[in-house]
Formats: sequence, C-alpha cells, structure tokens
Amino acid sequence: MIGPIATNLGRFLLLILLQVMVVDHLNLAGVWMVPYLYVLFLIMLPFELPAWGGLLIGAVTGLTMDLFSSTPGLHMSACLVMMFARIRLLRLMAPRDGYEFGMRPTVPGMGLAWFVTNASVLIAIHHLWLFFVELHRFDAFFSTLGRALLSSIATLALCLLAQMLTSRTVLKSRA
Amino acid sequence: MRDLFRFLLRIRDTLLFIALMVVAGLLLYSGSMHHRAIAINSSNAVAGTFLTWRSQAAEYTSLREVNARLAAENADWRNRHSSAFAPNADPLVRINDSLHHQMYSCIPAKIVGSTWHKQRNYVTLDKGESNGVRKGMGVIGPDGIVGVVHDVSARFASVISVLNPEVKTSVKLKRTGNFGLLYWDTGDPATASMVDIPKHVRVATGDTVVTMGGDGVYPTGAPVGVVAEVSSPPGRPDQAVVVRLFEDLTRSGYVYVVNDLQRAERDSLQQRQEQE
Repeated sequence: MIGPIATNLGRFLLLILLQVMVVDHLNLAGVWMVPYLYVLFLIMLPFELPAWGGLLIGAVTGLTMDLFSSTPGLHMSACLVMMFARIRLLRLMAPRDGYEFGMRPTVPGMGLAWFVTNASVLIAIHHLWLFFVELHRFDAFFSTLGRALLSSIATLALCLLAQMLTSRTVLKSRA
Repeated sequence: MRDLFRFLLRIRDTLLFIALMVVAGLLLYSGSMHHRAIAINSSNAVAGTFLTWRSQAAEYTSLREVNARLAAENADWRNRHSSAFAPNADPLVRINDSLHHQMYSCIPAKIVGSTWHKQRNYVTLDKGESNGVRKGMGVIGPDGIVGVVHDVSARFASVISVLNPEVKTSVKLKRTGNFGLLYWDTGDPATASMVDIPKHVRVATGDTVVTMGGDGVYPTGAPVGVVAEVSSPPGRPDQAVVVRLFEDLTRSGYVYVVNDLQRAERDSLQQRQEQE
C-alpha cells in the first residue's frame, strides 16, 4: 500500500513544480496555448482509488495550483469537474471484464488509443471549465473556446511526451 | 429510514462533489473581497519561496538585458540630478524652494513571478510588509505602470497586473487632459482599452496616456502608453480607444512600489467627510 502512495505523491510534487516553475512560463503561442500539464497527475491516478478519494485529491491538487497562481477556487473547481466526469468516463471505458488489479491508466498500461481518448476528454473538460470561469463572461465566446481547445491539444501533447520519456515499456517497444 | 440511508450512500460521490464545488465557488466569489482568513495567492510564504528559487535560477539568462535597462534608467536620473544643471549666471537670483515637498517615495522590488498569457494576470514581488509594501500601493516599472498590490505577506507581495480586467486605472490623455479608465479587455499583453472618453473629444493616434493620480495608487502623470487605435462605435456614449502600453509586461525585472506619503491624510479627510 505504501508503494503506490509514495509514487503518486512523488508524481504530484514533480508535476506541480514542473507546472509552476517551467510550463507556466512557456511561450508556445502566446495567449492561445497555455498548457496545464499538472492534470496528468489526476489522469494517472490508479483505477482502484474510490471515487470520493479521487474527488478529494482533485480538490487538493486544484487548491495547490490556486496557491501558486493567485486564483482561489479556479483550479479547484476545474479539477473537481474533471474528477467527477472521470468517475463516469472510467466506467464507460472499462474493458469487458472490468479493470484488472494492477492495471494503470497509462499508455503502456492501457494502450495508446485508450489513453488518448481518456486523456483528451478529461483535459478538454478541465480546460473548457478553467478558461470560461477564468474569463467570467461569455462575450468572447469563440476566442475563449479556441484558446481552451488549442491549450488542450498542447496539454495532451505534453502528457504524451511525459509518458514517452518516463515509461520504459514505450521506449522498449520503439527500440 | 433505511432506504434513505441507502440512497444517500449510493449518491455519496455526487454529494461530496456538490459540497466541494460549493467550497470552490465560495473561494471564487470571495477572491476579490477585502478580508479573507486564508490568503490563497502567490503572496504566501510557500509559493513565494518557490517562485523566488525559480527567479534566481532564471535570473542569469537575462542579466545583460536587465543591466542595459538599469543603466539607461540611471542615466535618466543622472540627467535630472542637480549636478547636471549649471548654476544661474546671475548670482543675485535666489530660489528658496518651499514650494516642493516629497509626495511619493519608491520601494525597489524584483518581479519573481508573473504571467501575461492568462486572462487574469498577477505579478509576485520579492518585497513585502517588512519592506513597507502595503495593500493598494501602485507598482510602476521603468517604462510605465505595472499594477496594484492586492495582498502582502511579510516578504512577498502579490500584484494585480494591468493585464487583469479586475483592475481599472484612472488615466488621462496628456494632450487634452480628458480622463477615462484603463481596462484590459483586449486579451493582448501589449495593449489595453481606455473607456469613458466622450465622443466630442478629438483623440489622435499617438497621443500619450498618463495616470490621473490623486487616488493614492499611482503618482500623477506616470507614463502608461500611447493611443494606438481610435474608433467611435455607434450605440456607445464613449469612444473605443486602444492604448499601446509602454511597459512590456511580458518581461520581468526590477520595478518600484509607489508609496503615497499623503495617502493617510487624504483617506482620513475623506472618511471624516463621509461620516458627516
């Protein structure tokens, strides 16, 4: 039980620091691409985690981001909406016999197609909520929509890159 | 009764979600309120310390540029220093300067964290309450205004950037003297909008925009930007003026927190007026 907790805690710290120290300062396409890599931590939480645990972890993760970006409640609500959607999404995307013990919601664990589908839906939900709540109004609807979707693509690309760089099996299968 | 408990147990995740969302919603709406129990912003010690580490690590990459800017500013001050002026040739001219007294003092600070690509941007400074920085003080950079301090801890200050629709700055056109509000709705870190300029005022592109002052935030006449576009949309009582900001908020460096020395006096007078 200690193993997965330590792994996830480490991943949490690493991704939050990476977000506030590096990713927040990247200039990919100005205001049009603002990736939020830290959601990868929430996407990679184990399947065995009960739904309420996921919600609580999502709230804490969002609050930590709010602390760094001076936006009380913004990331917290976005993470909560995303984790609430994740409950239903994981049920929808379950294999026929359910998730086996030890399966991980990663590229090596579930395959590239599964991961991309799962991650892109979750990232899109998170980003759409975040960008619209951040703006607080709807008059710039299409430009905000564009920003949110372009940023989602950037986040997804960073998530895939992170998976490629950190998992041995992906590298092995390419070699 | 047992059915009710069973039902509640079945929807416990939804209930938890709703409860947590209520907390997040309260945080969102209290974010702009004046008194808060916990400071969820980058002026707190933990976030401030991390941001300082980052800024220290990244500092070396921009030393050349920062040096050049500081040197240029030094030269500017040197030009205004008394040693740059020759005494009047006529020894009989005597200027007893009782007309001037200091109104503003500046606290130098370094930007340790800033965003410009988000829709609500904030700047974190490495000076806080122990250095004399207080809530509501204005922050100006070498070229123009930067923002307003909205929260301070002992060692850090969190500043609402000009690139944040929450802050509206009183500004005026230097040439005509008409005043309006500077408001960031352009979504572009280089420009902002100036509203409340009546239609009859002839605004030309290239007009300089400076701060109004008198509000205890910025000194009067601090540089803001130049008018880049003017249009007169129908159905609006004012003109749509786009201002190109002087200060490049996409780079970080050294800024000054403006301390209005007469603020307490003015505030207490206004308070007395309100009470009467």
